Amino acid sequence: MSDASADGVGDADGATAAEGRGFFERHTTRAVFAAVTVASVAALLVAGFLFPDSLAGTLAAVLTSENTLAAALRLSVPIAFAALGGIFAEKSGVINIGLEGLLIVSAFGAIYVADVTGGVWIGFAGGVLASTLLAALFAVVTIQFRADQIIAGLAVWLIALGLAPFASQVIYGSPNTPTVATSPSVSVPVLEEIPFFGALFSASPSVYLLFAAVALSWYVFERTAFGRWIRASGENPEALDTAGVSVARVRYAAVIISGVLAGMGGAALSLDLGQFTGNGPTMVNGKGFIAIVAYLFGNYNPIGAFLSTLLFAGLDAVQTVLQLQGIGVPRQLIRITPFVVVIVVLALVGRTRLPEAAGEHYDTEE
Amino acid sequence: MATAVHLDGITKRFPGVVANDDVDLEVEHGTVHALLGENGAGKTTLMNVLYGLYEPTSGTVRLDGEPRTFDSPRDAIDAGVGMIHQHFMLVDPMTVTENVTLGSEPRKWGGLAVDRAAAREAVVELADRYGFDVDPDARIEDVSVGEQQRVEILKALYRGADTLILDEPTAVLTPQEVEELFAVLAELTAQGKTIIFITHKLGEAMRAADEVSVLRDGKKVGTVDADGTTREELAELMVGREVLLDVEREPAQTGEVVAAASDVVVEDDRGVRAVDGISFEVRAGEVFGIAGVDGNGQTELVEALTGLGVPDEGEIRFRDEDVTTASRRERIEAGMAYIPEDRQERGLVMEFGLVENGLLGSQHGPELGPNGRIDWPATRDHAEAIIDEYDVRPADADADAESLSGGNQQKFIVGREFKRDPEFVVASHPTRGVDVGSIEFIHERLLELRRQGVAVLLVSSKLEEVQGLSDRMGVVYEGEFIDVVDPEETTEEELGLLMAGERPGGGGDETGATDETDPEATPSDVTGGERA
Repeated sequence: MSDASADGVGDADGATAAEGRGFFERHTTRAVFAAVTVASVAALLVAGFLFPDSLAGTLAAVLTSENTLAAALRLSVPIAFAALGGIFAEKSGVINIGLEGLLIVSAFGAIYVADVTGGVWIGFAGGVLASTLLAALFAVVTIQFRADQIIAGLAVWLIALGLAPFASQVIYGSPNTPTVATSPSVSVPVLEEIPFFGALFSASPSVYLLFAAVALSWYVFERTAFGRWIRASGENPEALDTAGVSVARVRYAAVIISGVLAGMGGAALSLDLGQFTGNGPTMVNGKGFIAIVAYLFGNYNPIGAFLSTLLFAGLDAVQTVLQLQGIGVPRQLIRITPFVVVIVVLALVGRTRLPEAAGEHYDTEE
Repeated sequence: MATAVHLDGITKRFPGVVANDDVDLEVEHGTVHALLGENGAGKTTLMNVLYGLYEPTSGTVRLDGEPRTFDSPRDAIDAGVGMIHQHFMLVDPMTVTENVTLGSEPRKWGGLAVDRAAAREAVVELADRYGFDVDPDARIEDVSVGEQQRVEILKALYRGADTLILDEPTAVLTPQEVEELFAVLAELTAQGKTIIFITHKLGEAMRAADEVSVLRDGKKVGTVDADGTTREELAELMVGREVLLDVEREPAQTGEVVAAASDVVVEDDRGVRAVDGISFEVRAGEVFGIAGVDGNGQTELVEALTGLGVPDEGEIRFRDEDVTTASRRERIEAGMAYIPEDRQERGLVMEFGLVENGLLGSQHGPELGPNGRIDWPATRDHAEAIIDEYDVRPADADADAESLSGGNQQKFIVGREFKRDPEFVVASHPTRGVDVGSIEFIHERLLELRRQGVAVLLVSSKLEEVQGLSDRMGVVYEGEFIDVVDPEETTEEELGLLMAGERPGGGGDETGATDETDPEATPSDVTGGERA
């Protein structure tokens, strides 16, 4: 993470040293984890290259396939959007555990609006609106009425889990909606020809939107005054209050932004397939919870959260491809990976530091 | 010289309490004015009125002769009044610059970005102008408490404060940091700023201030020139009668060792050694004191002694038995009493009446809790006996603990613990936030126990308390005893150096004495562990 000292104004010497120490202190275990991952992938690729007919060879082929990256990106979209939303809310001090619910309502809302109006992008906006409204309700309940954030967040999930399939049942006579038109993928000429990484430049518009959202979120936190207020509101709301900034306003804004971002994720998820399926855990199927894991693992950094999402989604994509090739890795095992990772990271490693005031209500005195 | 701040007939009533009663206060430009008084005398309330946190029931606030009304601190800040609270309003993971400019960040690109270069420059420039030693790029969690306080002052100056209010600014500082603070205050007034600082310490008021106003029970009882007054005069103004500043104490009649700790190590939840190899013995009939600035491992050590925590290494013995891992209940039943430092958190259940609170700790005992049920009539008698013997007011066993003043809550806890006839008492900051009358009372009771042959361990950050009561005292710094001294033969200056971590005779070789292996174990780590 770059900081004020990176500006290089004045005598940055001591500052750089402090920065360096801070970096190792705060990121060693994360760095070790990343290094181990990269090393094992590299070892696998080398082995695959040397023995193309072995299991390693097959794996390496799958890993280096452009299709795998494309699939991983597609799977990442809803999770990464929700994770970005979760970062905004939690950094401001409001733990938004209802991301799953926001994904569900926006997934359904997008299909419904697209079905009624016939426009994919109007449908997308409809999904975002549905999620934003639910997030706003969550904000009022937790900020204004001081409800417990975890309980209110679970309520958001459960309400959405019941409401979306029910609405579908009432409107379409089935928990699954009919299919609507999807938007074609957008390709960047020339760049899409690059081997492997070409997948980055021939993708659904929502993937590009995600890239933009990741960059913008990073910019907001690192460079804008509003981003600092969000951090202060989650770390020491009293400090922000005495500095003359309304904590409630900052938190409302942050939670509503989380609704907008999660809504983009949910809408992209269903519009990508052109259908909302509402059976069981619905088509969202835990993506909102994996999002929480992703931003924790990414240490509340938008880029970190995106990369962790890509890692989890990549595992899922590899698993799917292997399944097709007849090398079975039980899907269930892959699906629990993010949760195992988060337990290891949070419990054993303990380096992800939650914002000091996350989960706490704040009241201005008098 | 003109009057910078003029409070005229300020009265502030809360339901049932008059916190300020017709207080007049005049502070001249470019001076330091101390607001002296006991806890609860109304000092902080008065300053909160000036700072716009409270609206006065009656009276006017004038700045430079102009009557002003403030609806919020924001208004006060805009009018040039800044306040540095006792608990710093800083965001730990942010840098000094980010904290100073929080909420008033310089912008660029039409407000879309913080102009970080300009922010840093503004902070550097301010720090230079007033001769502050701060690193603009350091994170708050990595700097000392003294530096954090300077950051708070910079925050107020950055917002254009001409008048600075400091609430108990020395409470968290080492003696050396106090000196630095006073130098800072002198520099600020030299450049025309006006300072009001709230304190209950006579010596500080006399040293740092030009004028001292004394508040008692919400009323101003006088304003005196700091140079023309004496400690005794101020003390009398504060409490309204002559106070014995020194405790009368006969020599100790020590018996055998009652409690002993050897090489105790306690790690906090981040693995920092909050207590790093402490050993001592407490004998029957003596008071062993532990002095030190808050957050140097006292809390963790007391937790290990009382069974609220388990030491990671070392041994704790009580009457020749190893009680290192004994439970709270076992320790209470063996005769170890405990006066906790945070009476509202650990000493009392605030929403419960005194009857229930008197039962705490004795709920398993044969008198009040025989056969797993509670004998309520006996429990009520027990509470009433405590109230009676320890002069708890109001004398109402049904009153909720939270309705009592701090001093009376503390007297009730002391009574409850002492009535168990303990052999060993751990008293952790027994007079923190307590009025002078109760302090005297609690001190006398502690000395009475000592006469009766009870072993007492006294932990306090008040130097005169530890020094006045202890027979021997250990000075703790970063989890270690810097030295164990005879309080009668040690001066306050020597103690101050010890509390700041300088080993006796070490002459500047301070780093060698402290923990070299972990240079990151700065005060911020220790403070962080404090609340564990």
